[in-house]
Amino acid sequence: MITETDFIRIVRDELALPLAKQDLEGDLDGVVSWDSLHMLRLVAAVERETGKRMLIGSLLTERSLRGIYSKVAAA
Amino acid sequence: MTAVLEETPLARLRALHNEGRIAAEYRTVPALLAEMTDPIDLTRAGQVLSRTDVCDILAAGGATDADTVTVAITGHATLGTLVAPLTAQFARHGLLLRPHVSDFDAYIRDLQDPGSEVYASGADLVLCVLDAQIVFDELAPGWTAQDVAAVANAKLALLERLVTGYTERAAGRLVLNTVPLQRIHTAQLVDLRSRAVLGMAWRQFNIGLLALAERHARVSVVDLDPVLAEGVPVHEPRMAVYAKAHLGDDLLSGYAREVAHLARTVRGRGKKVLVLDLDNTVWGGVLGDDGPDGIEVATTFRGEAFGRFQRTVKQLASQGVVLAISSKNDQEPVLAALREHPDMVLRESDFARVNANWNAKDVNLRDIAGVLNLGLDSMVFVDDSPFERGLVAQALPEVTLVAVDEEPALHVERLLADGWFDALELTDEDRARGSQYRAEGARQELLDGSGSLADYLDQLGVQVTVSRVGAAEVARVAQLTLRTNQFNLTTERLDQADVQQRVDDPAHLVLAIRSGDRFGDNGVVGAVFAHRGADALHIDNVLLSCRVFARGIEQAALAEVLRFARDTGIATVHATYRPTKKNTKVRDFYPSLGFETVGDDAGSLSFRRELTDLPGVPGHLTLQSDLGTEAATPERIPA
Repeated sequence: MITETDFIRIVRDELALPLAKQDLEGDLDGVVSWDSLHMLRLVAAVERETGKRMLIGSLLTERSLRGIYSKVAAA
Repeated sequence: MTAVLEETPLARLRALHNEGRIAAEYRTVPALLAEMTDPIDLTRAGQVLSRTDVCDILAAGGATDADTVTVAITGHATLGTLVAPLTAQFARHGLLLRPHVSDFDAYIRDLQDPGSEVYASGADLVLCVLDAQIVFDELAPGWTAQDVAAVANAKLALLERLVTGYTERAAGRLVLNTVPLQRIHTAQLVDLRSRAVLGMAWRQFNIGLLALAERHARVSVVDLDPVLAEGVPVHEPRMAVYAKAHLGDDLLSGYAREVAHLARTVRGRGKKVLVLDLDNTVWGGVLGDDGPDGIEVATTFRGEAFGRFQRTVKQLASQGVVLAISSKNDQEPVLAALREHPDMVLRESDFARVNANWNAKDVNLRDIAGVLNLGLDSMVFVDDSPFERGLVAQALPEVTLVAVDEEPALHVERLLADGWFDALELTDEDRARGSQYRAEGARQELLDGSGSLADYLDQLGVQVTVSRVGAAEVARVAQLTLRTNQFNLTTERLDQADVQQRVDDPAHLVLAIRSGDRFGDNGVVGAVFAHRGADALHIDNVLLSCRVFARGIEQAALAEVLRFARDTGIATVHATYRPTKKNTKVRDFYPSLGFETVGDDAGSLSFRRELTDLPGVPGHLTLQSDLGTEAATPERIPA
């Protein structure tokens, strides 16, 4: 199980995004310089960290980092 | 504080980024990246680096325009993921990537439309990244091997048209790649005979792609097969399905590595000299301790591995890489081992310089650079000792280091990993370079034995030939523009197509300078580019190989150009000098020939010379020319 702190660290380090705590809640469009490629890198990084396979198809429909995190944490 | 010392290179890079110091300290980045061995770390580093604006890095002096390579990225798949590894791979070589990423599946439109980013960006390199879906996306279920062949042929014909259009419109280099065939394709055909037909058709497709580079001077094709053979997956299936990432991160990292080598070559930063340590680098064991019979070059397991490394080095040398030795040993036993050891592949005559002594390695590298008259930044140094490498890294950061370790079976992979000696084209001059540098040693002996430089030059018997560039010389002249850094008045890089264009243009004068002396023929050592204006001649550039500096060759060649200009009715000659880090020593070249400095724009100088008189040809050399019917000038000045 990946903690919220781990998740924020992964997003910051793997995507080199300056992530603020509130970015976790808002729509992805509001995250500084977010683009769809970040999702690919994020999934790859989370899978490397947890060793578990994520269901990417369902992650792609998430509109916030919070939503992604809850699916990652539940996996 | 110890925590800081233990930080990984990636952590140090991130710290630089968080402190906003990437731009100002961009020149320290290659050393950090050199310590990163994991491709994933390099991609992470690339993401960090790509957060800093290229303009900020240039403004802060972290890089110059000459370090910047503009790259347009287009293709069929999702390619945004290429930017991070490409940024890091370029930075490893001190290059700054200015990327322009096009839309998904836009390569046809991009290459057809003169208004597209591919053209508008003025890209130095256009990466048209191809994947198997350019063919398979056009096939409906029920397809056969013959259908694949038909679509692949049509794509090849389309690509040929796109390539031709590009090379006619743009000045950059178009980079294609071979396209991997995967099991998800072949296994869709259930009968083995059809699979064989598909396999053949696909290889024909890749052969056709590779052939484009053979037919078009400004096209390169990155062969992905050797990259894949390292054990890299073509893609991650889920990423391919959901995000159209048909080429995965690992493969794009490998591709980025190859493209960075190409960029370095195009920027004229290929390496020229390979300097080798001996003990446990070239042979197993320590000559001083184990004696000539105790070192391993063959017959033992480890010996075979060193022999393999020596054969690889010799293979590079056969293509113009200059070899030298820097070893902590006594000179005599080293020479004896190179001459007499029965299993040695590399012999004394393979080396332009053997520095076996007890001086520090940085002192020896400086000495080798000085004797060969080549820059330290053209050197690659291989040593198994982290101590020696660390010393050289500290003292001579411009020297490229190849780290080998106590496992000699990995020496070859390490040496070849970064294509340090890659060139766009190999010329006869390259193949003969080894013997030319050895002749240099004989010249050095003559110089040492001569009373003065004038005596030396008189005895050397220098011959200079100036001639219009013919078909056989285009490749060599282009290479001179790409690789010459010191005696290069404007550092304008031209590829073969550019040179050919000027050769074909009657308004342009493209001249090859050949030289030779009593020790041998130097081949094409220089070039002059000029064009005729209304009533004046404009000299666009003058280049001379560093091998033949200080022999009066450049004065003789220019005297002949000016003589020819005057004889064809020209009264005035214009010329320019554009400064770089490397060419300061030729800043006064034109004034030394009687040119007047008429402009200075931030160090870029313009010159003018009336042809009321002509500079003389140095008396110690003989000059031949095919420029005009009139004989070369009889005026002579003393050497």
